[in-house]
Amino acid sequence: MAATFVVTLREGFEAALLLGIVYACLDRFGARDHYRWVTLGGALGLVASILMGIAVTLLSGPLLDLGPDLVAAAVIFAAVGLLTWHGWWMSRHAQALRGDVQRRVAEAEATRRLSVLGLIAFTGVFREGAETVLFLWGLVSQTAEGASWDRLAGGALGVATAAALGWAVFHGGTRLSVRHFFTVTSVVLLLVAAGLFSTGLGKLQGLGFLPPADAFWDTSFLLSDRGLVGGFATGLVGYRARPTLIEITGYALYLVVASALFFGGRRATGPR
Amino acid sequence: MHRFALLLATTLAAVVAPSAATAADPAEIALTIEENRFQPEEVRVKAGAPFVLVVTNRDKTAEEFESRELRIEKVIPPGKTVRLRVPALKAGTYPFVGEYHEKTAQGRIIAE
Repeated sequence: MAATFVVTLREGFEAALLLGIVYACLDRFGARDHYRWVTLGGALGLVASILMGIAVTLLSGPLLDLGPDLVAAAVIFAAVGLLTWHGWWMSRHAQALRGDVQRRVAEAEATRRLSVLGLIAFTGVFREGAETVLFLWGLVSQTAEGASWDRLAGGALGVATAAALGWAVFHGGTRLSVRHFFTVTSVVLLLVAAGLFSTGLGKLQGLGFLPPADAFWDTSFLLSDRGLVGGFATGLVGYRARPTLIEITGYALYLVVASALFFGGRRATGPR
Repeated sequence: MHRFALLLATTLAAVVAPSAATAADPAEIALTIEENRFQPEEVRVKAGAPFVLVVTNRDKTAEEFESRELRIEKVIPPGKTVRLRVPALKAGTYPFVGEYHEKTAQGRIIAE
């Protein structure tokens, strides 16, 4: 039970975190009536995950060898792009976003922000969605064939716990003042996106599109990236116990460039 | 940038058209998943030579072949076989797991 719990919690945590943040963003924009964009994005992400899960079981040969990996890499880099755009947008419109509620709604709607939040929800769910669907489906069919309920219950509990964490993120986010909310969100998105970016680079290395390399350092004795805590650290800041030089460089470069985008313009456009 | 584009193009060509390379086809190593265990659990390969892991899942449920060291994360549906191209490895031990049954599905590649 504990093993399946860890798997689904680990797979679901990142999606839950992103969903919590984008729902909270809408709340802070004063645009709660636009929650449907995020709900729609998340729901479509789930549908796409199920379709992908079905497609994978139907595919074979080179399509199965490479297809899902190319989709996964594309989703990762799309998510990085969307999150970067979102952080950059928040910093450019910081002044308006800190204004009164009407102004925030007008600003967010005028620049067509809200559908991008839906896209972030979509990529967040779709990224690990197909794997989670296949995993849970395996648990369901094993249980149907007479295996004990333990493993399925653990898997379901993992998904539920991830959802609860997402809700806690949302709830905590809406409690913060508008000013603090955008600062905290920018920092979290910066770290998540940097982690995703380096994960994407690592994936390209694993697929042979970037030159392979050995681990540049090894901190697995301190914190394994396989356990629960390491799993959270992976979802939140892209922790890797044994990163390659390309992954480290990509992470650092992303932090530098995105920090400039997220925080550089604030002095020019935002009030003190 | 040009060099990177060229590298990308050649790698793409190498991955998409593996049949074109006949002279130096990488060695194939078969790996089976049965009862949520890998068979064999220990794979020995030559260090410095790329190879292909041909993994067949004989179980009725999906498994995810995962190696953080090799940066491979690959779902293998029940009854399916996937070919995982692994680049030349330095001598050493590279563990892998079946993420969906991590307690039993464990193995390692030993490059020597």
